[in-house]
Amino acid sequence: MTEPLSIFALVMNASILVQVVLVLLVLASTASWVMIFQRFFALNGVQKAIDEFEDYFWSGIDLRQLYNELNAADHELSGMETLFVAGFKEYTRLSEQGADAEAVMQGVQRATRVALTREEEQLEQHLPFLATVGSTSPYVGLFGTVWGIMNSFRSLANMTQATLASVAPGISEALIATAMGLFAAIPAVIGYNRFSARVETIMTHYETFNDEFTSILYRVAHTKK
Amino acid sequence: MSPLRSYIVPFVLAVLVHVVVGAALWANWAPDTTSERVIKPRIVKAELLVMQPKAKPAPPKPQPAPPQAKPEVKPPPKKPEPKPVAKKTETPKPDREAQRRAEEAARRAAALERLSDTAFADALLRESEAMSDDEDEQAAMSFIQGIYSLVVANWSRPPSARNDMEAHLVVELVPTGDVVSVTVVKGSGNEAFDRSAMQAVRKAGKFDVPKEPALFEAQFRRFNLMFKPGDLLR
Repeated sequence: MTEPLSIFALVMNASILVQVVLVLLVLASTASWVMIFQRFFALNGVQKAIDEFEDYFWSGIDLRQLYNELNAADHELSGMETLFVAGFKEYTRLSEQGADAEAVMQGVQRATRVALTREEEQLEQHLPFLATVGSTSPYVGLFGTVWGIMNSFRSLANMTQATLASVAPGISEALIATAMGLFAAIPAVIGYNRFSARVETIMTHYETFNDEFTSILYRVAHTKK
Repeated sequence: MSPLRSYIVPFVLAVLVHVVVGAALWANWAPDTTSERVIKPRIVKAELLVMQPKAKPAPPKPQPAPPQAKPEVKPPPKKPEPKPVAKKTETPKPDREAQRRAEEAARRAAALERLSDTAFADALLRESEAMSDDEDEQAAMSFIQGIYSLVVANWSRPPSARNDMEAHLVVELVPTGDVVSVTVVKGSGNEAFDRSAMQAVRKAGKFDVPKEPALFEAQFRRFNLMFKPGDLLR
């Protein structure tokens, strides 16, 4: 009796459904934290790559030389680099075939748009998962709690004397599920909001760069003729 | 390869977060229980009392002081009286006298010990009695509550009843729990209220009573019921 009601003893004594709910929530929480850290590092890397590439791009380097360097590079191309490579490849290909400037620019825009969409896809990876965990895990936890409280009240029905001590452990055990649900949901929601905002900034950055880049190509294509 | 590798560090960090949170929960769960322990001071106290005598028979001495005080005083006067006489006739022998004194002290100590032994046994007996009384009382309390709530449930409030009214009833039961008789020993001053209280007991008709005959005889064969539903009307 002197042994206190430890949280682990409560979990061990909980009904199977509550335990399943708890295990699910722990898994969801772990997974969402994995996604949060992964996204955090990935977006940080993307931001760094953007800064580096922009510095390099605006350092006055020849576009063809930059293109060749990127093609020869052994590291994987980051977002802005793929954008540039896709646009420039299309530009050289079309201008070599002797297409007129309008057609070249249309081709470039199409190519960069495709690259942009791909990049956005990559950036938003895992964010839907975070949103799902953030919005559903409170409900899952609540389900576990409702079930646990239901059971503890049902067992109360068999007693002539209803005391607080007879329901308290059951309710306490059931409430762990809600706590767990919130524990999983809160970081996921915060992570989702933060990362989607960051993805948006990065995407704006990409689009701005894309406009600037295509305007450079436009100028080149139209002055050539 | 590289996309998979990018998950290793996040995974380790995520697991770390959960382990830290789990450990924090484990460590901080204890303070809550101290307040829980306060709810059941009775049990804790009883355990301590049983432990004490087991460790040393000395501590119970002060407890049984009132009943055992008289015998403790009596033996010493008896013994010293004959001895001085004997000593005087045998004339001075210092070492013998010292021996005598030592013997006497030993005897007294033995008597004391015997006394404290019986005192200890007494204390134990009383202790266990008190404990079983306590349990009985608890059991009785729950039955009394049940009876009271049944009476209240069967009570129909007369219009003249007021909050502060109370009626003292004497209820007699048979071992099956059936009501044999109800009488008002001290009324509220309001006839209708008293009558309604008696009516409520009669209407309840049969109560839950303890199965143990001893407890029933002691507490439920004939018992006082203070009927004061004032708090329910509020």
